[in-house]
Amino acid sequence: MATTSVNVPVDLDRRVLSVALAGNPNAGKTTLFNALTGLRQKVANYPGITVEKKTGRCRIGDGWVDIIDLPGTYSLVAQSPDEAVAAAVLRGARTDTPLPDVVVAVVDASNLPRNLYLVSQLIELGQPLVVALNMVDIAERRGTPVDAGLLARELGVEVVPLVGNRKRGIDALKAAIVRATPAPVPTWPLSEALWEELQHVAGALAAAAPAMWPRQQEGAPEAMRTLPQVIAARRLLGGEPAPDLAAHASATGVAATLAAARLRLATLGIDAMQADIEARYRWIDGIAERVVSRDARPRLRATLSERVDAVLMHRVFGLAIFTAVMASVFATIFWVADPLNGWFEGAISWLGDLVTGHIAEGPLKALLKDGVFAGVGAVVVFVPQIALLFLLLAVLEDTGYLARAAFLMDRVLGKVGLHGKSFIPLLSSFACAIPGVMATRTIDSRRERLATILVAPFMSCSARLPVYGLLIGAFFGGLGAVAKGMIMLGCYALGVIVAAAVAWALKLAARKEPPPAFILELPVYKVPQPSLIGWQVWTNTSKFLTKAGTTIFCLSILLWALAYYPRAPQAVLDQAATHAEERTRAEPAGEALDERIAAARERAAGQAGLEYSAAGRLGHAIEPVIAPLGFDWKIGVGLIGAFAAREVFNSTLSIIYSLGAREADDVDDLASAIRADTRADGTPVWRPLVAVSLLVWFVLAMQCISTTAVVRRETGGWRWPLIQLGFMNALAYVLCFAVYQIGTRLGY
Amino acid sequence: MQQSPSAADLVFNAAATSASLDRIADGGRCTVMAVTGETGVRRRLLEMGLCPGVEVDVVRRAPLGDPIEYLVRGYHLSLRAEQAAQVVVCDRSRP
Repeated sequence: MATTSVNVPVDLDRRVLSVALAGNPNAGKTTLFNALTGLRQKVANYPGITVEKKTGRCRIGDGWVDIIDLPGTYSLVAQSPDEAVAAAVLRGARTDTPLPDVVVAVVDASNLPRNLYLVSQLIELGQPLVVALNMVDIAERRGTPVDAGLLARELGVEVVPLVGNRKRGIDALKAAIVRATPAPVPTWPLSEALWEELQHVAGALAAAAPAMWPRQQEGAPEAMRTLPQVIAARRLLGGEPAPDLAAHASATGVAATLAAARLRLATLGIDAMQADIEARYRWIDGIAERVVSRDARPRLRATLSERVDAVLMHRVFGLAIFTAVMASVFATIFWVADPLNGWFEGAISWLGDLVTGHIAEGPLKALLKDGVFAGVGAVVVFVPQIALLFLLLAVLEDTGYLARAAFLMDRVLGKVGLHGKSFIPLLSSFACAIPGVMATRTIDSRRERLATILVAPFMSCSARLPVYGLLIGAFFGGLGAVAKGMIMLGCYALGVIVAAAVAWALKLAARKEPPPAFILELPVYKVPQPSLIGWQVWTNTSKFLTKAGTTIFCLSILLWALAYYPRAPQAVLDQAATHAEERTRAEPAGEALDERIAAARERAAGQAGLEYSAAGRLGHAIEPVIAPLGFDWKIGVGLIGAFAAREVFNSTLSIIYSLGAREADDVDDLASAIRADTRADGTPVWRPLVAVSLLVWFVLAMQCISTTAVVRRETGGWRWPLIQLGFMNALAYVLCFAVYQIGTRLGY
Repeated sequence: MQQSPSAADLVFNAAATSASLDRIADGGRCTVMAVTGETGVRRRLLEMGLCPGVEVDVVRRAPLGDPIEYLVRGYHLSLRAEQAAQVVVCDRSRP
């Protein structure tokens, strides 16, 4: 589970204090979490959902403290699974996570009122509370410094000023955590009528199940004795979805009192939910008035961030800069990652040769070389792209530009049910869907994130290029470069169009549910912090290796075994080799006849072996199914091979056509071989129409086990990757069927 | 800025220049009067600080007209027009 090995002495005598970091998105929680825990952290998932659970340990004095970094949330009334987790942990409603002993409210000092809203809810939890007043430097530079001492007096808890990107203040925060106390619950300025109803409901709650409420201290003032009930009454009256209060709400007497109270408020025209939120903001505005420096109140001068935005969000310049930024992102993962990939692959195969060099030819050597080392290669080949993409994403997110990019692009993507933040994941998917799917983590809205994951593999990735190249070269070679380019472009366009259509269909399918609120905060621009970026690259890459990597590795070995077993009997291989030798001898004599014979024998044996294997037989077995698409069993074997990676189609075909597993970019021989192939009746197997059908197949079909493994990891189960596998392949099948059958009828 | 407008204010203003937030032009300034619509989104808009009585500046629209960036309670928030339409405001930029 752990991505970093943790070796922490556990003090068995003393229970370890657990501390939760809660705060708005963009308040700097992650930086603070890293500063507190160093690398003593682990990232797992909350069971059953895809929300990340980040925990770590922090040394305070001579003891250790457990720190849990909760997902960013604007309110304890959750609007997304991430927020629901944060709220549930803070209320002690999750069985897998203990109720935190201390809550640290991470507050952005440069955006005090909105951040204090969550604090107003955290206060009511009744747990010891500390306010980490983050980004005080930004607040000062903006001319709205916050008086931390005064804020502490207003809230009745310790307030520790912090500068987010430097470790200043961390020691003070640690000290404050140890001596934290609950904040006094303020009397929210509510209307008389609402207070009255709250008391009614609170009374009913107390009477219905007195044992369910914590006993208050004897000396507490009368109002405070029923405080938990009043808070519960306020949540119920406000119509808050509160699973933790379900038992209370349905208790005898409570439901009736609640209904009566709601009715009375309705006749008075009081909306309990709005009244409650307004009351909190009135309380907050009062505090902000006192603790934020007054002289800077009128915002006369645009902040630096606003002046930068005037350019970066400009209709013309903004879009031009956006295009340039995105082009560099794409160029980086498409071209810069390439030599790194080559280097990685070279290193792995060198290591493979080193290890297997002294092993005799046979199943063991094949397993190690073509199974294990090729499997490792299949995993690490994604590492450069993933690391580079997450490096760029971290920089874009940390500076604040990612939110702007989403703002600029949201209209186009929102139309088809995606999100402005879907742009980078989809763009990355043109290089490879693996980093693309992983990059959807930046999309906060669950539904739009899922839609992006589901359509991302429709983008033509770089692994499809060699296949496009082979097919276009072999069958449309006679056309000019422009026409060939248009066919290639058509493949890319088809993927995009189908992706848009599928996303739009998903949007329609989900139209009965209320649409997710698109609320995008445009944070103040910041200088990115190298340590935070390095950490992001490291955690994401290592998580890919440990989580998705193992699945990819296992599936790669499975595919290797399919193409290796069962082994053809020696007689079959010999026969194939003899045939090949005879054919070669019949050719006009030339140079190096012996070498040519040896090569031909080896290739023929390879072909016979593959045909005899499970993959070869599977190719034959699926022939009736794929024949209506124009594909024969050889293409079937190629398609099975392509599940390892799409470009493997070329090398598998190469073996099947007895050409040996040549480099994928040397396609001329293969192109002439497939052009020359004929069926039993003498008609060519490959017509241009077959090539078109196969191109459509490669554009649309989901045949990449690595993507499936990553989708499983990102969606937290097999449900969505299997649905994706099913609908993409069904769609590809239907369209290829239509193309081939209609094309045939038209005489192509 | 902090006080909710009185009922009389609201009625008067509503009769005069009420509009939905998505209709306010770039550079315009308005005061929130009410948030309507589906409960979940409505609650979140209120929680983000769009309470009746709060002043909102319209900063800019995205190049294709949507979403729209607002300045509210000192921070920059962008909403899709669809959501901004749920916020009833009183246009301050008009005379």
